[in-house]
Amino acid sequence: MTRAAATKEDSRREIILGCGTLAIAAGYYLLAIRIPQSDISDVIGAQGLPKTYAAMLAMLSIILIGRAVMARRTATAPEPAISVEPPPSLTASAPKHVGWRTFGMLLNGVLYVALVTTLGYVLSIAGLIASTIYFQGGQLNRRTAAVAVGGALLLWLLFVRILHIPHPPGIWPSLL
Amino acid sequence: MAVASLTIIPAAFGGVAWGILGGALPGISPSITMALLLPFTYSMAPTTAVVMLACTYIGAEYGGSIPAILIRTPGTNAAAATVVDGYMMKMQGKAGEALGISLYSGFVGGLFGMVVLVGLTERLSSVALAFTPPAYFALGVLGLSVIATLAGDSLVTGLIAGVLGLMISTVGTDPVTGLNRFTFDSPELLSGIPPLLVMVGLYAVGDLFVKTGEPDWAKATSEDARIKFPSPAVWKRIARPQIIGSLLGAFEGMMPGGGGAVSSFLAYNEARRWSRHKEEFGHGSPEGIAAPEAANNTVACTALVPMLSLGIPSSNSSAVLLGGFLMHGLIPGPLLFVSHADVVHGLYIGMFTGNVAMLIIGYLIMSPCMWLVNRPKPYLMAFIYALVVSGVYAIQNSIFHVGLTLGFGVLGSAMKYFKLPVLPMVLGVVLGFVVESNYRRALVISSGDYRTFVQDPIAAGLLFVAFLFVTGALVRRMREA
Repeated sequence: MTRAAATKEDSRREIILGCGTLAIAAGYYLLAIRIPQSDISDVIGAQGLPKTYAAMLAMLSIILIGRAVMARRTATAPEPAISVEPPPSLTASAPKHVGWRTFGMLLNGVLYVALVTTLGYVLSIAGLIASTIYFQGGQLNRRTAAVAVGGALLLWLLFVRILHIPHPPGIWPSLL
Repeated sequence: MAVASLTIIPAAFGGVAWGILGGALPGISPSITMALLLPFTYSMAPTTAVVMLACTYIGAEYGGSIPAILIRTPGTNAAAATVVDGYMMKMQGKAGEALGISLYSGFVGGLFGMVVLVGLTERLSSVALAFTPPAYFALGVLGLSVIATLAGDSLVTGLIAGVLGLMISTVGTDPVTGLNRFTFDSPELLSGIPPLLVMVGLYAVGDLFVKTGEPDWAKATSEDARIKFPSPAVWKRIARPQIIGSLLGAFEGMMPGGGGAVSSFLAYNEARRWSRHKEEFGHGSPEGIAAPEAANNTVACTALVPMLSLGIPSSNSSAVLLGGFLMHGLIPGPLLFVSHADVVHGLYIGMFTGNVAMLIIGYLIMSPCMWLVNRPKPYLMAFIYALVVSGVYAIQNSIFHVGLTLGFGVLGSAMKYFKLPVLPMVLGVVLGFVVESNYRRALVISSGDYRTFVQDPIAAGLLFVAFLFVTGALVRRMREA
């Protein structure tokens, strides 16, 4: 990637970030002004600092967007038409479909939270281990299944039997 | 105290062992290793818990050198300088000697760091009883001013991360009026968002998501798993770089954003400058291992100086340790030495034990370490994920907390994508309550008179230091630009 292209990419990210944090500042401010007033309130009040933080975030977001727009403009100068591709050795070992895999990792966690009270700790954590291995680039085979079951039993032993921390029993109460 | 001291020693050994294993895994930083352990320390006695966390930090700093020497991949950022000569020694068939130098130098650096820690924290905290709400507010502001140094490439993004952290700290019951803020009628949010969940989410889960896109690391061979301690001749030769590393580590550890990585590279350069065998650096010099390893283990102790005495974490790892203190209702800062002197003294004993334990465990743990480093990355990541969700649930048996931690994990990976630094956000979360509650209390006491912040000499002094800190960082940035 050329320097100008890298600057443009950074600027694009900063503009997206600035817009996102500006939206957060606006949403947070709207919630802050809905905090009720108290009869025993001090001079600052429960709304005081939240409103200040919202204003600070908005101001910083605008500075970030402005700076990124300026940098984007200066990065559009004409460049020599040379395309530099990274050598194959640098790209060959990088995992593919990274975005989907990362999303899969998040989905694993969300499914665990949604299902653990129904399925119980052992089954849910075994599922989490197996699917994480898959999304981290492993294969779904017998070895993965054995690692998932073994890992789940090890954690169950550690938390439930040794540390005496109850986890959701779900459909398998006798195990907990 | 007698019962606590009985648990301190196993906690120190356990923490060091966990730290070495975590540090030895490439990409698992000391702060992540500590964040993974945090939930497990919830049910422990406060002294035992903080000793275990601090000793994890000590162990992780040494653990990082193992893959640096054996597979040319630093386990931690601080071990990056060790790669240069460590791997060259391994290639010359001296892997055991290189590991021995690393372990012994870490031990020396750790002991020096302990002397500095004990000597300075007690002095800094001697003004504890003079602290009033305005002074505590000023202390919080001083802590937040550190963001100017920690912000990385962009001050604006660092400040944005800090303000977002301050916003997170406002969730829950208002400290003065008792009104609910940003709780969305959820009983789980009434007591606020625990800093522990923010740290585990941002550091451990966020990193797990980001690492999905990284390839597996290289593997070591089993014949490397034997440590040889340095001979008297080598011992004599590495004394000077150890002193250089320890001195630089002591200074850098206390500086915001200094940390192990900066100090180990500085120590490497200075050791080369003062060496009689300059030509050997980069080709397998024992001094090139001794200096950075002494430096990063000194940092593991001296990074606790500002954290314990002022409540200001100077690095990610000391921020996680601060989370451990807060989880047990201990608020680091001047009053800690008055209200919980037993915990502080227990921590000193535990950390000293931890440094000695590192020497023993470091020698014994090599084989399990090698086994762990050689596991396929997907299996290790899966187990870490399972450990995080199980550990977070175990804190208060709350599925809501697990969901919240995942949310902070998403935020952590988004922050990496947008190049937002994590530590300013953690500082905001940790110091937000201190700043707001003391600011408002000070104004209540002074009947709304803002001059109270400059009339209190400690407050005025701390605010002035904060001002100098921010101005200095701004001037440096402008010069660099």
